[in-house]
Amino acid sequence: MNATRRKVRRRAAIGIALFGAALLIVAAAASAAEAPTRDEYVSGLERICKPDAEATQRAMKGARGDIRAERLAVAAEKFAAATSIFGSTLKQIVAAPRPPVDAAKLGKWFGYLKAQESYLRQITAQLRADHAIQAQRLTARFIHNGNLANNVTLAFGFDYCSFKFSRYG
Amino acid sequence: MARALGALVALALLGGLLAGLASGERSQRGNLIVSLDGGLSPLRLPRQRPAPVAVHLEGGLRTADGSLLPRVTRIELGLPGQGILSTRGLPVCPRRRLLNTKRPEALTTCGPALIGHGRLEAEVVVPHQAPFTIEARLLAFNGRFDGARAVLLHATADNPPISVVLPFRIRSGGGRLGTVLIGDLPRALGPLPHFAGFEMTLSRHYSYRGESRSYLSASCPIPPRLTAGFFSFARVDLTLADGRRIGTGIVRGCRAR
Repeated sequence: MNATRRKVRRRAAIGIALFGAALLIVAAAASAAEAPTRDEYVSGLERICKPDAEATQRAMKGARGDIRAERLAVAAEKFAAATSIFGSTLKQIVAAPRPPVDAAKLGKWFGYLKAQESYLRQITAQLRADHAIQAQRLTARFIHNGNLANNVTLAFGFDYCSFKFSRYG
Repeated sequence: MARALGALVALALLGGLLAGLASGERSQRGNLIVSLDGGLSPLRLPRQRPAPVAVHLEGGLRTADGSLLPRVTRIELGLPGQGILSTRGLPVCPRRRLLNTKRPEALTTCGPALIGHGRLEAEVVVPHQAPFTIEARLLAFNGRFDGARAVLLHATADNPPISVVLPFRIRSGGGRLGTVLIGDLPRALGPLPHFAGFEMTLSRHYSYRGESRSYLSASCPIPPRLTAGFFSFARVDLTLADGRRIGTGIVRGCRAR
């Protein structure tokens, strides 16, 4: 009687284990099927970045002239708009499924992009507080960090998703 | 034969310069990576009035997988809009005087029109042979081409012995990059040399009617509260033989004095 129960339990355990393994295989296969190739990923992200890059360019128009003319408050509002656009773009592209082979590279890239968003926010705050020199220092870091971000994804050939200083006024 | 070699050298010069450059900002399209680096000297400039400057640029083209470079047919170099390029009172070197000359002869003939120097690299692709690199030394002279101001690049190499003159037209344009140097690599250079890299410094101080002048001048137009400013400093755009274009731009800063 006990031997029969043990057999039944063992069979049940094996069955559960096989079912679990099958589930894992199905999940992995589904995830692999969902994962885009690098080209698909790039074109998907560029579709997201393009309207936002253009909106940034419009929002930042004249910001350089404003700073030159010491209209820091006006420039601050332009930076605020750019920060908001950047944040929204970042949220969308972070959520996009990534090619598994590029996961590490993209993880690093998103790290730089989060730093970019933070620099934009800090520049806005310093301009609002009329702290021109601090804004200037942060701008230097923002440019340097943007170039580092571009270097990480050089092989992706991004256009609208890459950092271009010319978009910022 | 000498002309063909000259063309090879010229292309080689162009290619090598580009290839040697791995630093600075880079941009990739497909398998091709273009890079550009450079800066102004001195960095500290007056806020209001332009002061003499030297511009150093280096750029390169390479393939991501090390395969052969495509042929470049046009090179465009954009320089910042706040810079001033002045040739008033500067002697002009006629292109024909530079043709088929060695470096010392070019300097003797056109020394007063000298505005810079540099080097050029090209990958030479000869069918059924392993490609090799040519490095050429560059002299830049103030000149004219097609009736307009130009920079005449005199490229020479010792091995193989080559002497080529590549004219770069100076075009004034709008936008942040106010001056563009456009060089069409002549068909006469043939299909063998593939531009790979360049390095160039442009600077010339001279006197005209008792006045001290500079070929290039720039200011750092920032408000008194700031100590530094950032600007789109330069851009390189390459047109390939198949019509594709690849380019990249660089941002640099200046300090106000």
